[in-house]
Amino acid sequence: MTHTYTHTVVVTDSVGLHARPIGQIVSLVKAEGVEVTLRRPGGPDVSAASALRLLAMKVKTGEEIAVVVEALDIETATRVAREIDSYINQG
Amino acid sequence: MSKTVELRGVGVGSHGIVGNVWLLAMAGSPLKPQRATRELAEETEALTTSIATTVSGLRGDATGNDSVSSDIMEALLVLVEDSELLELAKPSLEQGWDGATALQNALDEFSAMMGEDEEFQSRVGDLMAIGREIGSVHRGETRSLDLPSDGQWILVARDLTPLETSKFGPSVVGVITEHGGPTSHTAIICRARNLPAVVGCHGALTLRHGSSVLLDPAGDRVVPGGSLDLQTQSIMLAPLSDAPLITVRANIGSAEEGREAAHTVAQGVGLFRTEVLYLNASDAPSLVEQQALYREVFLAAPRGKIIVRTIDAGSDKPVPFLPVAREENPALGVRGFRMASKFPEFAESQLRAIAGAVAETGRDVGVMAPMVSTVEEVRHFASLCHQAGITQVGIMVETPAIISVLPDLHGLVSFLSIGTNDLSQYLFAADRLHPELSSFNSPWQPGLFREIKRIVDAGEILGVPVGVCGESGANPLVAIVLAGLGIHSVSAASSAVNDVASALQGVTKETAQRCASAALAATSPEQAHSEVRAILEEL
Repeated sequence: MTHTYTHTVVVTDSVGLHARPIGQIVSLVKAEGVEVTLRRPGGPDVSAASALRLLAMKVKTGEEIAVVVEALDIETATRVAREIDSYINQG
Repeated sequence: MSKTVELRGVGVGSHGIVGNVWLLAMAGSPLKPQRATRELAEETEALTTSIATTVSGLRGDATGNDSVSSDIMEALLVLVEDSELLELAKPSLEQGWDGATALQNALDEFSAMMGEDEEFQSRVGDLMAIGREIGSVHRGETRSLDLPSDGQWILVARDLTPLETSKFGPSVVGVITEHGGPTSHTAIICRARNLPAVVGCHGALTLRHGSSVLLDPAGDRVVPGGSLDLQTQSIMLAPLSDAPLITVRANIGSAEEGREAAHTVAQGVGLFRTEVLYLNASDAPSLVEQQALYREVFLAAPRGKIIVRTIDAGSDKPVPFLPVAREENPALGVRGFRMASKFPEFAESQLRAIAGAVAETGRDVGVMAPMVSTVEEVRHFASLCHQAGITQVGIMVETPAIISVLPDLHGLVSFLSIGTNDLSQYLFAADRLHPELSSFNSPWQPGLFREIKRIVDAGEILGVPVGVCGESGANPLVAIVLAGLGIHSVSAASSAVNDVASALQGVTKETAQRCASAALAATSPEQAHSEVRAILEEL
């Protein structure tokens, strides 16, 4: 059974969701072996395993993004979501 | 987000220069589209492999960089290795284009998808460059340089191959490489061309294409946005005599460099690197052609003795018509005089061509073999020389093993020349091209000075002069130490000859010996350097 954890992030980085955090997200998703999708409110799910697709979302500063993590246990799911949050807004 | 912090590295040359950054990774035109020669499945798999190998190579290169630049590199690599990119490449592959073309099309398509996204567009050049690199790997090609012919450019690259450095035009006024130490090929070639450089410079690839930087080799640094008045000043000695304490010669690789050397105070040539004559030849030149090449160089060279080194090639310095298999450790492989056993006809023809040119020009010429480590090799070389009619036979002292057996070379050699670059790398077991090991290859290592002293002592037993033709001799202060150790001559790139000679005019034998004693007694290169500097600053 898997646990799904949804975490909402408001992108505050002045250049939006750019290549550097995307690289970190993809590496993390691969290392953890979890399913992660990102989506805009009402938008389609975008797999966080693909750097190209994440980049093509062109998320701008101030946008709200849902990070959906699917993992075997809720602890992993929340930890991964928090880490992704820290990548997206690393100040 | 422009960074103004200075970058540290190892300086080559003594004068600073201001120029605009030409990022080699950013330069270059797109690869020419090519049709695939393999089946679709095979081509796709080959592309996957090319991506994986290039990415892992670049990832390896990025480790050790500061975290910001390695994160940026990692982000780009994650994009390139994304299997979605392969999906974008599929249509081109299915239409029969090769992997390199398909990858480029995929990146173009992705870039178009990104539109005007500013952050992405600022990095798209890097992404395309990675794509080109993969394409070159895929096609088994080497990258070519597309440099502008005018302007004042400071070339910035991860590393440069000797072939690339040979293509520099007058618009290149300086070089910065992320890799390489003071004795790397890039450093040697830059010194030879009087091009200031900073090698082993961490973070070099984060410099912005087109931005202005101060290259300050005397200060071992690069200052983004810096002006020339910030450059580090070097030590000056007032001349005490008309002639340098020991003979100063030039190191050359071609007739052109010989002519350049003739404009310096060099008393002859201490090292003529003959492999330079052959690097671009696809077929072995005939005896007549070779003799003509040597004649031209001998006529151009500055007055005095000329010391010729027979071809020093190997898998790291390949000569097209002397093929050597790819080796795990080129520095420990079939190179230097070891090539002579593999290609005896060529070895013989080179010596005969040199002897012929000596007869034609009447110059005073000695010939030496590179990379020998046993008495048998020296005996073999001496007999080849005698057969060709060469009388002044010498060897490069650059392996630790030959030092111990030097006294056994009595009657076989008439001079010794220390190649400090290779000697350092073999003594310290530290790859001279390794970016993190450059301190082992410092010319100030006390262990190196003590080894040089042993060689000088052996030269006295043999009754033959001992010279230094490595990059050590290009550093004026090190040259003073060498003179104090009892070295008879030093040689350096033309650009350094006058500085070295004037430093050697500014000291007495006693001062040089004091410097040598201090350097021998030191327990670190920093201590050796600072103590010698202190002795000379007192003057």
